Amino acid sequence: MKGVSGWSRQRHAIAYWMILPAVAAMLLVHYIPMLWGFYISMHDVNLFTMVDWINAPFIGFQNFIDGFNSATTTGARALKALWNITVYSVVAISAGYVIGLAVAILLNQDFWGRTLMRGLILLPYITPDCVAFNVWKFIFQSRIGLLNRYLVQWNLVSEPPIWLIGPPALWAVTIASIWKGWPFAALILLAALQKIPPELYEAARVDGATAWQQFTMITVPQLRIVSVMLILMSILWNFNAFNQFFIMLGRDPGIAAEVPSTLILREAFTNLKYGIGSALSIVLMLILLVITTVYLYALRGTAGAEEV
Amino acid sequence: MKTRKMRVRSAKKLKRFATYLVVLLVALVVLVPYAWMISGSFKETLELQSSDVTVPGLRPSWIPRGPTLRNYREVNLTVPMLRYFRHSIIISLGTMVAATLLALPAAYALSRFNFRGRGVYTISVLATQMLPGILFLIPYYLIFTTVSRHIGIPLRDTYGGMIFTYTSFALPFSIVMLRSYLNGIPLEIDEQAMIDGCTQLRALWTVIVPLATPGIAAVAIYAFIMAWNEVLFASVLTGRSTKTVAIGIMDYITATGANWGGMMAACIVISIPVLVLFTSMQRYIVEGLIAGATKG
Repeated sequence: MKGVSGWSRQRHAIAYWMILPAVAAMLLVHYIPMLWGFYISMHDVNLFTMVDWINAPFIGFQNFIDGFNSATTTGARALKALWNITVYSVVAISAGYVIGLAVAILLNQDFWGRTLMRGLILLPYITPDCVAFNVWKFIFQSRIGLLNRYLVQWNLVSEPPIWLIGPPALWAVTIASIWKGWPFAALILLAALQKIPPELYEAARVDGATAWQQFTMITVPQLRIVSVMLILMSILWNFNAFNQFFIMLGRDPGIAAEVPSTLILREAFTNLKYGIGSALSIVLMLILLVITTVYLYALRGTAGAEEV
Repeated sequence: MKTRKMRVRSAKKLKRFATYLVVLLVALVVLVPYAWMISGSFKETLELQSSDVTVPGLRPSWIPRGPTLRNYREVNLTVPMLRYFRHSIIISLGTMVAATLLALPAAYALSRFNFRGRGVYTISVLATQMLPGILFLIPYYLIFTTVSRHIGIPLRDTYGGMIFTYTSFALPFSIVMLRSYLNGIPLEIDEQAMIDGCTQLRALWTVIVPLATPGIAAVAIYAFIMAWNEVLFASVLTGRSTKTVAIGIMDYITATGANWGGMMAACIVISIPVLVLFTSMQRYIVEGLIAGATKG
C-alpha cells in the first residue's frame, strides 16, 4: 500500500470514527449476511420453515449433498452449470483479453481520429447491462434478428437457427459478453502501454530488434503485472456472471445454458429451497477462492501480484 | 537508393492503410448494436412483427420502412416506464449521496492515517468485490424479511432498503477510487490548514473537499451508475413500488407479446442519464477505474 505515509499515532482515534460508518454498512450488507449464509446452508430452510428460518432444523451437510446429487434435477443442473460457466469464462476471458490487447496496441499508434476512437471503445463498457444485453437479444432473434438476416441472405445457413434456446444460447451469451467486456481490457492495457518508457523501444530498434521481438521482449514483460490483475478480475467477474444470462435467456436459461447464478437464484427464490441455494453459493465461492489462490500461487514470481 | 526510399514509403503507406482498415472494423463492431437499437426504436410494431429473415421482401431492414416516433410517444403505454424511471432516479440519487458521504471520511482516513488495522481494512474492502453477489443475496433477503416482521420497518420494496443495499455495494470501489485521488493531494496542505488553526475535520471540509472535487464527483457518478444498472438484487428485492428500469425494461417482452420497438426506445431513454453523467466526468472515472484495477 504505497502513497501518503500518514500521520503519527496520536490522532488515530479520529481515523476509526471516520471509517466507522463505512465499516458498519459493509458489515451489515456483506459480512454479517455471509456468516448467516453459512448458517442457512447447514439448516433446512425452505418454503415451510422460512418464516422462522432461524429455528429451522439443523441438517449438517445435507444441503451440499442434495445440491450436487446428480440423480436430482438440481444436482444434475449444478454440475452442468459449473461446466458451462467454466467454458463461458475461458472463452470470454481469452477473447476479451486478446481483442483488448490488440485494440490497445492499435490505439497506442499515432493516427488521425485516435482520441475519438478511444472514446468510442468505451461505449460498450458504459452502456448499462440491461440495455446492451436486451439489444443483443434482439439481434439474436431467430425470425426478426439481424444476425440471421445476414446468415440467410449470404446463404450461410438454409434454415434460420434458433440462438437463444438450447446449446447455442451459451454461445450467443458469450458473444454478447465479449462485445461488452473487451473495452475494459483495452482501457486498462492501453494505460499500461502508455507507461512503458519509449527509450526501451528506441534502444531495441538501435540494436536491430524486429517488431515481433520488441513485442515479446518489451511489451509482454512490461504488461505482465497489469495482465495478471486484469485476468484475475475477469475470472471473478465472469464466474459470477448473472446479468447477461438472466437478461438474454430469462429466469430459466435451460440446462444447456444454465450457470450457477441463475440456478441458485431459481433454487432459492422460485423453488424456495433457501438452504440448497446457500449451499450452492458457498461452493461457488470456495471454487473461486481455490482458483484465485492457485492462480496467484502459480504466478507468485510476478512482482506486485501479492500486493493485492 | 531512391528505390529503397520508395519501398520504405510504400510500406509505410500500406501500414497506414491497414491501420485505418482495422480501426474501421473496430468502430463497426462497436457501433452495429447501437445502430440496430436506434433503427429498431423507429420501427412500427407491425413491421417488426411481420419481418421474416427467410422471405427476401420481408427481411428486417436497417432503414425503417415507415419511420415512426410512436415507440417514444407510447413508451409509457403498455409498461409504466416513467414510474420505473422515477424509482431508479430516487434510488440512484440516494445511493449517490449516501455512498459519497460514507466513502469520503473512510478514504480520507485510509489516505492520511497510518492507523492500526489499515491493511486489514483495505483488504476486507477489496475482498467484498470478489464475492459472488448471489452468496449474500439469500441471507440478506431472509434477514430483510425477519427484520421487517420484528421491527415493523418494511425494508423489502422500499427506497430506504434499496438505497442502503446499493450504498454498501458502491462503497468498496468508491473508497479505493477516492483514496487514490486523495493520495495525490500532498499531506502538507492539511498540515498547513491545521497550523492555521483548523481542526482535523475542518481541514477536511474546507481545504481537502474543494481540492478533491473531481475525485468526489467521479465517485458520486460511479455510485449513481452502479445503482442505475444493478440487476440481481433488484430482481429479488424490488417490487411494485420500487421496480427499477434495469428490471422494468424486461416487461416489454412478455409471454403474450414482444414489443421490441418499445423496448429499443426505452433502452435509449434509460441510457441517457448514464451517458451524460459518464461523459461529463469521463477523465476522472477512467483514471479512477485504472487506479482501482491496477493499484488495488
